[in-house]
Amino acid sequence: MVKTSSMNKVFENLNNLKNAFKIGEKVVPIIQSLTEFMHEIVPLLENINSSISESAHQMPKAANQINDVTSATELATTEILDLVDQISNRIMEIETAITEVISEQDERDEIFNKLKELIKDNPDALLLSEKLYEKNSNSELFSFVKDKLGLINDDSFKITMSLQVQDITSQQLLAVNHLIENVMGKLQTLMSQIDSSDLKKEFANLQIEVPEDAHYDPNAKYNHDEERQQKVDDIVEKQKEQASQDEIDKLFA
Amino acid sequence: MDLKFLVVDDSVTMRRIVVNSLKALGYVNYVEAADGQEALGQLAADSTINFIITDWNMPNMTGLELTQAVRTDANTASMPILMVTTRGVKEDIVQALQAKVNNYVVKPFTPQVLKEKLDQILEKL
Repeated sequence: MVKTSSMNKVFENLNNLKNAFKIGEKVVPIIQSLTEFMHEIVPLLENINSSISESAHQMPKAANQINDVTSATELATTEILDLVDQISNRIMEIETAITEVISEQDERDEIFNKLKELIKDNPDALLLSEKLYEKNSNSELFSFVKDKLGLINDDSFKITMSLQVQDITSQQLLAVNHLIENVMGKLQTLMSQIDSSDLKKEFANLQIEVPEDAHYDPNAKYNHDEERQQKVDDIVEKQKEQASQDEIDKLFA
Repeated sequence: MDLKFLVVDDSVTMRRIVVNSLKALGYVNYVEAADGQEALGQLAADSTINFIITDWNMPNMTGLELTQAVRTDANTASMPILMVTTRGVKEDIVQALQAKVNNYVVKPFTPQVLKEKLDQILEKL
């Protein structure tokens, strides 16, 4: 006589088993999808690998181009600095000449004063000498020019200081080069690891082996696609037609 | 004091800019080096050099390494050193000060800043 408690235990175990089967039925399609994903991944990995190989070949060219840019900008900057130096030197020469002219003004003033003293009794001559003095007195103009030259010199010096940008950008470009090299190196290592391992082979051959006594369909899909049923119906119809022909053939056999 | 500067930077552009800045301030005696190693060679060959203006990031020997080498040599241990660099983070500045640079300028610098930092060093000499 089976005890009630034992029966309850059996029912409980059956229930647990039933739940396990339900979970299994849910999990198997997921694993199947994962396997299909792995199959799909292989060609993607191959694509990525070939892209990376191509990029790796291009990388030295990119690095060289970056270095060329740095060299070209350094050359251009040097030429600009040469020109700025020339401008500064010429301004200095002009300033020196103007300073000399301005310094001679005192001497001119002295000469004119002596002349005026000598001709003070001749009003016409005095008037003419004063007009001549005014025409020759350009000290204000020269001072104006000298001030402007000073400003030009300041501006050209500012150009010099702003060319520090070349040094800063060349360092930034070197950093970019280094970063590209690092990234490509790491990706290449990663891809060669995937290549050299058996992973690729494993993914390609990965299949779920269905045991002979399995009571589940590994290809089962939850899919409302009407075309699937139509395909089934077409196959069924063809089989029926075949069966009819077979029957006829049997009659004549 | 007759100053003779050693201007150290791997960038030709920056060396010219520093030199032009020094000239604008009235300092006309200078020599140049492209890295720390070359700078040490200049120091060994020319005992009239008495002020170093150096970059940090350079091949062969950095400005920091140059500073450390200068400070450990009895002949140059007290030579004023001004670091002129793009490095501006606190850790770098602290590191440079620990290596005993006298002052620190970040690029890009203005002539006024360079003058100010030079003057600060010269006042203490």
